[in-house]
Amino acid sequence: MLPFPLPSLLAVVTTLGVVLGVVGILLCVRVLLVKPEDLTSSRPVRLGIATVPKAAYLKLLAFAALLAVPAAAVAVANYHVFEGVEEVRGCAGCHTMWPMVNDMQDPQSDTLAARHFRSRWIAERQCYHRHSDYGLSGTANAKMEGYRHLARYVTRTYPEPIRLRGRYLNRNCLNCHAAMAKFEQVPSHHTVGDRLDANRMTCLNCHGLAHPSPADRTPGSSGYARLMLPPALREPR
Amino acid sequence: MNLTVQAVGAIVGFLVTTLFVVHPTPSLMALFVFVAQPLFLIVGLMYLKRVLRELRERDVL
Repeated sequence: MLPFPLPSLLAVVTTLGVVLGVVGILLCVRVLLVKPEDLTSSRPVRLGIATVPKAAYLKLLAFAALLAVPAAAVAVANYHVFEGVEEVRGCAGCHTMWPMVNDMQDPQSDTLAARHFRSRWIAERQCYHRHSDYGLSGTANAKMEGYRHLARYVTRTYPEPIRLRGRYLNRNCLNCHAAMAKFEQVPSHHTVGDRLDANRMTCLNCHGLAHPSPADRTPGSSGYARLMLPPALREPR
Repeated sequence: MNLTVQAVGAIVGFLVTTLFVVHPTPSLMALFVFVAQPLFLIVGLMYLKRVLRELRERDVL
């Protein structure tokens, strides 16, 4: 048992990212200050265990400033692009998603998202789990969709209420539910099983809304102001 | 070794990247994804081109 709590991955990524950014900027400034005569200088420069001519030292510096440190900084920052967006806070970063997040955390709501959240049926990364299709291609598609959403959001080229582009695959529900005895006990699930498998009908036909209705998410509607409050993110209770 | 353009480009990339790491908002994410990353790539390619040219001038390659 350690005498101190381990820092979260997010804290490590943030610290490392800042360190790399500052080091990168300082190295680049040093590269900018290189004079032509420095490159012909044979004055030795001590680098810990090695001593190299100043010209070689400056070339190593340029390599670090323009290739090595940028590669490391991009790798670290991509944590937010590839991992951070899988968290609910990643979705809640865009105000267009606030109605979904607020509703999901609302203990009084009867939407499927809210029921899954308060029952802890999905313990973490609730949005990503239900909106990324299974398999590698599903994950890749979700990321590509994320880039499209990002571009549309920052250029303000989206209409409200936002709508899901494409189809929500029943497989995302069935992957968990189909194996449950409770699911198998419902006769209608067997009656429409083929249609559900082929995505010719959706689970929402019988099980209600997944999120607040488009009418509630339309600016000016009665529920809009309540749904558009900045969400306070919390764990399921 | 005149790498002024590359160094300035990298500084811009580092500034955007650092801001994004500290404060990952949608706007900064867009700047990082669509500006900083391509900028780092361009800077890296320009630098490699310069290195290759210098090596060829010295008959190393």
